[in-house]
Amino acid sequence: MAKRKHKAPKRKASWLVNTILAIICIIWFIPTLGLLISSVRPAADILQTGWWTVFPHRQWATEEQVKLPKDTDLRQPITVNGQTFSDDQLKAGVMQGDKRLVWENRRSRTVDVQDKKWSGMTLNFTTQNYETVLGGKQYKITQPDGTVKTEQGSGMGRSFWNTIAVVIPSTVIPIFIASFAAYAFAWLKFKGRRFFFVIVIALLVVPLQVALIPILRDYTALGLNGTYFGIWLAHTAFGLPLITYFMYNSISQLPRDLFESAYMDGATNFTIFSKLILPLSVPALASISIFQFLWVWNDYLVSLIFLGSQPEVQVLSMNIANMVGSRGSDWHLLTAAAFVSMLTPLAVFFALQKYFVRGLLGGSIKG
Amino acid sequence: MKRKLKKSSTMSLMMVLLFSVVMSACGGTTSNTATPEPAATGTDTTATATTGADMIKTAKVPAGSELEKALKGEYKGTKVTMYGPFVDADEQKFNASIKAFEDQTGIDIAYEGSKEFEATINVRVNGGNAPDIADFPQPGLLEGFANSGKVVDVSSFMDESYLKEQYKDSWLDMAKMKGEGGKELTAGVWARSSVKSLVWYNKKAFADAGYEVPKTWDEMMALTEQIAKDGDPAWSIGIESGTATGWPATDWIEDIMLRTTTPENYDKWLTGELPFTDPIVKNAVKKMSDIWFNKDYVYGGRSSIVTTNFGDSIQPLFTDPPKAWFNRQAGFIVSFIPEGVTADEYDWFPFPSIDEQYGTPAMISGDIYAMFNDRPEVRAVMEFFTTAESLQSWIQSGGVTPPMNGTPDDWFANDQERRMSQFVQEAKTIRFDGSDLMPSSVGAGTFWKGMTDYVSGTASLDEAMAEIQSGFKKQ
Repeated sequence: MAKRKHKAPKRKASWLVNTILAIICIIWFIPTLGLLISSVRPAADILQTGWWTVFPHRQWATEEQVKLPKDTDLRQPITVNGQTFSDDQLKAGVMQGDKRLVWENRRSRTVDVQDKKWSGMTLNFTTQNYETVLGGKQYKITQPDGTVKTEQGSGMGRSFWNTIAVVIPSTVIPIFIASFAAYAFAWLKFKGRRFFFVIVIALLVVPLQVALIPILRDYTALGLNGTYFGIWLAHTAFGLPLITYFMYNSISQLPRDLFESAYMDGATNFTIFSKLILPLSVPALASISIFQFLWVWNDYLVSLIFLGSQPEVQVLSMNIANMVGSRGSDWHLLTAAAFVSMLTPLAVFFALQKYFVRGLLGGSIKG
Repeated sequence: MKRKLKKSSTMSLMMVLLFSVVMSACGGTTSNTATPEPAATGTDTTATATTGADMIKTAKVPAGSELEKALKGEYKGTKVTMYGPFVDADEQKFNASIKAFEDQTGIDIAYEGSKEFEATINVRVNGGNAPDIADFPQPGLLEGFANSGKVVDVSSFMDESYLKEQYKDSWLDMAKMKGEGGKELTAGVWARSSVKSLVWYNKKAFADAGYEVPKTWDEMMALTEQIAKDGDPAWSIGIESGTATGWPATDWIEDIMLRTTTPENYDKWLTGELPFTDPIVKNAVKKMSDIWFNKDYVYGGRSSIVTTNFGDSIQPLFTDPPKAWFNRQAGFIVSFIPEGVTADEYDWFPFPSIDEQYGTPAMISGDIYAMFNDRPEVRAVMEFFTTAESLQSWIQSGGVTPPMNGTPDDWFANDQERRMSQFVQEAKTIRFDGSDLMPSSVGAGTFWKGMTDYVSGTASLDEAMAEIQSGFKKQ
C-alpha cells in the first residue's frame, strides 16, 4: 500500500517530464523539417507557398468564374451575384453564403467563386538544389569570339576537404595542450599556479574580435596569412581558455588517493597523465571535442580573416555564403547547402554522443 | 542492451559518414572533371590566344608603359592579388574577362571574392595584409583609405591625357579624392558600372495592352492611373535586401532629387550641407510617396514593399497575365528576370523627367579599382583595367555597362544593354548613386533605415528625415 502511494506521484512526474521533452523536441524539429522540405522543393515553389503546403490540407478551390461587365468601375461598390462588395473585400476574399468570392483577374473583371476542398500531398520534389550545391553551378559566359561557353563552377567537394583540414588539427591541438595544462593546474604544485590559472580564466571573457587586427599584423610579418598552419594556431589560441577550464573541472575532481598511490609506485607525472588521467577523462575529452569541433566547423569570422576565400583554402561556411550570389538571387540553394554541411557535425555528434551527457554531468557533482 | 546500443550508434555513424563521403566525393569528381574542361577543348584555347593577340591591336597601349612591357611577356610568372565583393556568377564572368590577358602576359591575377568585402577590407589594410588591387563598389569607402594615404595615386604612372582618352571627365572627377595632407590624387580606375535610372517593363504585354512608354513624370502618373482603372497595380516595388534593406528606396529618392533640383544641390545634399529636413528633399520623398503609398498603384500595397525582396519584385511583371507593369531598378536586375524570358520580351525606359529644366539625368553606380601596392606588374594590370577589353566577355555576357570609352557596339549582348551605355554617354547630367558617396553612417546606415521606417509607417516624414540626418553627426 505504502509502496503504491509512493509510486503514483513518480509516474505522474515522469509523464510531465516526457510531455515537456516531447514539446521541446517538436519545437526543435519543426524548423529542421521545414528546412529539409524546402531543400527539395523547386525554387519557384518556395517563392509562392510555404513548405507546410506539401502536406494535405484544406484550401479554397475555384468552382466557377463570374465575368463582370468590362466597364465595371473598381473604385465603386461592385455587384457580384446580386450582392455588392468593395474592391478591398474582393481582393482579400469575401464570403457569400458558404462560398468565397475573390478576384481572379481584376483587369478582365473575373471573380472566382470558391469552395473549401482537401488538397492531396504535393509531390513536386526535385534534387536540383542538391545537384547544384554539390556539383557546382553552371554559368553561361560569352567568349570574345561570340560563342557562349558554359562554365561549371566548383561544388562543395573541395571546400569540404579544406574544412576537414582546418577542423581536425584545430580540435586536436588545443585539447591536447589544454589537457596537459589542466593537469598541471589541478595537481602540480608550482609557483604562481593560482595566478596563471586566473589569467587563463580571465581570457575567457576577452572577445576574439579585438585580437583580429593585431594578430593579422603579426601573421603578415610571419607570412602565416592564408595558410592552414596560421588558422590552426588561431583556433587553438581562441579555444584554449575554455578547454583548459573545462578540462580542469573534470581532472581536478579525480580522487587524490589515486595519484598518491601511483606516485608511491614510482610513476612519473607523464605516466600518471597518460595512464591515469587520460583514460579517466574520456567523457570530458569527448564532450569538449564536440564543442570545439562544432565551433570550428561553423566558424566564419576567423577563417574569413586569417584564411581568406581563395578556392585552394576556402572553407565550407564561406563557400555556402558565396553560393547565394553577389546579389542574393540564389538563396534557395542555402537550404540544401545547410543540410550537406550538417552531415559531418551530426556524424561526430552521434559518434561521441554517449560520452556527451556523461561529460556534461561530470563537472556538476562534487565528490 | 548496452552492446546493442553501441552497435546501432556505430552503424548510424558509419551510415552518415559514408553518406557525407559519397556526397563530397561526387561533388569532388564533378568539379574535377569540370576544371580541365576549358583547357581540354583545343579550339577554345586557340580562340582565346588569338583574341589575346588581337588585344594589342584593338586596345590603345601607351608606348613605354608597363602594360606594353607586360603584353610582351616581361612580367611572366608574377602574381597580382585582387580582393573584391563579387562572388559566384560575377566572379566567373570577371575571371573569364581577364583570361586572355593572363594567357598573354603570364601574370596571374589571383582574385578573391567575399560577400563581407566592406567589413573585411578595413581589417586587411590595417593589418598590413592589403591586396595589390581592391575593388570598391562604394567610392565613399575608398575615400577613407585615400585620406589616410594608403592608396597609390594612379596618375603617378598614368598620363592625364591617356586617362582622359579612356574615360569621360565626369568619371575622372569622381575618382579624384583627397590624399594624405590634402593633396589631390586619382584614387583608382573605374571598371564595371551599372545604370540605375531605369524603369523596366514587359514589352510584349505592354504593346498588347496598347500602352505607350511615358516620356515625362506626368505622363507616367497618368499611365499609372490608367493601369489602375484597367484593374492592375502599375508598380511592383520591393526594398527588402537583408541587412541592406531600404537601399532601393534611397535610389528612388536620389533619382527624384536629380530631377527636381540642381546637380549642385544634389552634391551639397551628399555632404550633409543640404539637410534631409530641407523642403527640397522632403518634396522628393513626397513625390515618391505619391506612387508608393497609393494602394491602387503598388502590387500588394504599401505594407508589402518592405517585406518584398528587391530581386523578387521584378517577377510579377512576367507572370501571365502580368500582375504589375513597372519596376524601377538598375541594369543588373536582368539577372533576376525569370528564366525563359528572352531579351525581346522586356525593355526599359529612362526614369522620366519631372521638371524640364533638369532634364533626364543618368544615375550610375560603379566599381572603382584601387591599388595598394606599387609594383610594375600591378601597374600593368591597372592599365589593363582602363581598357574596355578588360570587360569584353563580361559585356558580351550581359549585366555590365562599361564606364570607359571605345566599346564597340557589337559587343553588347542585346539592344537594351547597348542603349544603357548610350543613355549614359548622352545624358547631360551624370551623378553617382548618392548613398554610396555619403558617409557610410548615413549612406549605408540611417538612410536605409530611415526610409524603411518611413515606408513601413513606423516613422512620419519629419521623423524619418530627422533620423536620417542624424547619421551625419555619427561619422
